Amino acid sequence: MIEAKVHVQVGEFRLHAELQGGGMICLAGKNGTGKTTLLRAIAGFLPISEGFVRIGATDITQFPAEEREVVLVTPNTCIPHLGVDPHIVWGARLKGLRPQGEYVLRVKSELGIDYRGTVGNLSRGMRQRVALATALLSSPRAILVDEAFLGLNEREAFVSTYGQLAKRAGVDVIFSSQDEADGKLADYLYVLRNGLASLKQRDANS
Amino acid sequence: MNWLRLISIASLLLLLVPIFVLLYYGLGPFRDAAGFSTAVLRSIELTLFSSALAVVADFILFTPLAYYLARGNDRITESLVDIPVSVPHPIIGVALLILDSPVTPTGQFLLGLHINFYNTILGLVTALVIMSAPIYVKSMEPYFESKDPAPEEFAMGMGASRLKTLYSVVLPNSRDGLTSASLISMSRALSEFGSISIIAFYVLQFPFYGVSPASVTIYEFFSGNMSGGLNAAVTASAAMILVAIPITLAGHLFRRRAGR
Repeated sequence: MIEAKVHVQVGEFRLHAELQGGGMICLAGKNGTGKTTLLRAIAGFLPISEGFVRIGATDITQFPAEEREVVLVTPNTCIPHLGVDPHIVWGARLKGLRPQGEYVLRVKSELGIDYRGTVGNLSRGMRQRVALATALLSSPRAILVDEAFLGLNEREAFVSTYGQLAKRAGVDVIFSSQDEADGKLADYLYVLRNGLASLKQRDANS
Repeated sequence: MNWLRLISIASLLLLLVPIFVLLYYGLGPFRDAAGFSTAVLRSIELTLFSSALAVVADFILFTPLAYYLARGNDRITESLVDIPVSVPHPIIGVALLILDSPVTPTGQFLLGLHINFYNTILGLVTALVIMSAPIYVKSMEPYFESKDPAPEEFAMGMGASRLKTLYSVVLPNSRDGLTSASLISMSRALSEFGSISIIAFYVLQFPFYGVSPASVTIYEFFSGNMSGGLNAAVTASAAMILVAIPITLAGHLFRRRAGR
């Protein structure tokens, strides 16, 4: 369960946002409404002037980014010089985890990662799949997907599969989208109208 | 008429005229065999060797600083980096001399550890590191700044510290930037005279026993302390320029590649 009440000021832009939920959370809003700002604040890359970020029973507000165990995945996220397989287990190895080969193969298979090669040489969509798999296998507290689901083939099926894998791993996922209709892929939908307003929770199934 | 281009070419020529003059006279009318003597070639060899070592030290010691400045907001540290190159260079030579003098506590401590700067390769390289490191840092900092931080933030989200991120994520993908900064700072080290003429006028260590750095050798010809005089000084200068130019050009070539 993620709880965040975040006040952030970046130049002239002010964000006041509240969010609470678990599983798959869709953060919808048009360009410039503060989706990326909110995700970066939760991940610890933007200082919040007021508020808190809690995941489960842990208040991570004062934690530096590298201790939050919150992975931010964007369309440009990858470690370009690594091969696909070393990349996928990079985060897990960093934590001293050794994900079982069978589980790694299942994640790769379910996310459609049936290719090899240096990640930096892959297409953007292929890189995004690898980055999302890497984040998942690193067993973080939460994964924040900043428009990294966009541009993927069979996107809805992929998001649904990713959500199921994340739930099984006990990892909450917040993903941003410009389209409110993506709320149907999530357990919770929050719509960000502009940086000054609080987030409005909706029933994701309506 | 593109006046901006015309003015730019004229100002560039102004910068390059002394170099062309030296190359013309050094390889032409003033050419002197003493300028290509074994002593000169050995001094160029020492300069290349010590400059290369200085660049290796720059990479090991100052890459984290460049990254810290690029990703942090520490303006005080940023301005302190420029100090060594903003003071008259002989001051750095004098400072190293005092630092390692038997009459100062620091010198007694260092000499107790058998660390001797005076007329040693270590002293020469240390002076070159101090003079070239600011150039290295100022080349790497904007390169790091220009890189998309997304992969770094991704790694940190998985628990990598800033240092781990630097070595595991950033540096393996920074070959062109590192090569460019290394070559540019090596060019700076090759051209150093002020500090090394004090701390390592010549080196009294194998395999360069009695050899002076190239800039000092040229000065020795010019001042009449070495036989050959002005003609040998001009010829040796031309030889040194021929060695330095490809390194400088390669550095800028890699900088262009790194910027893509």
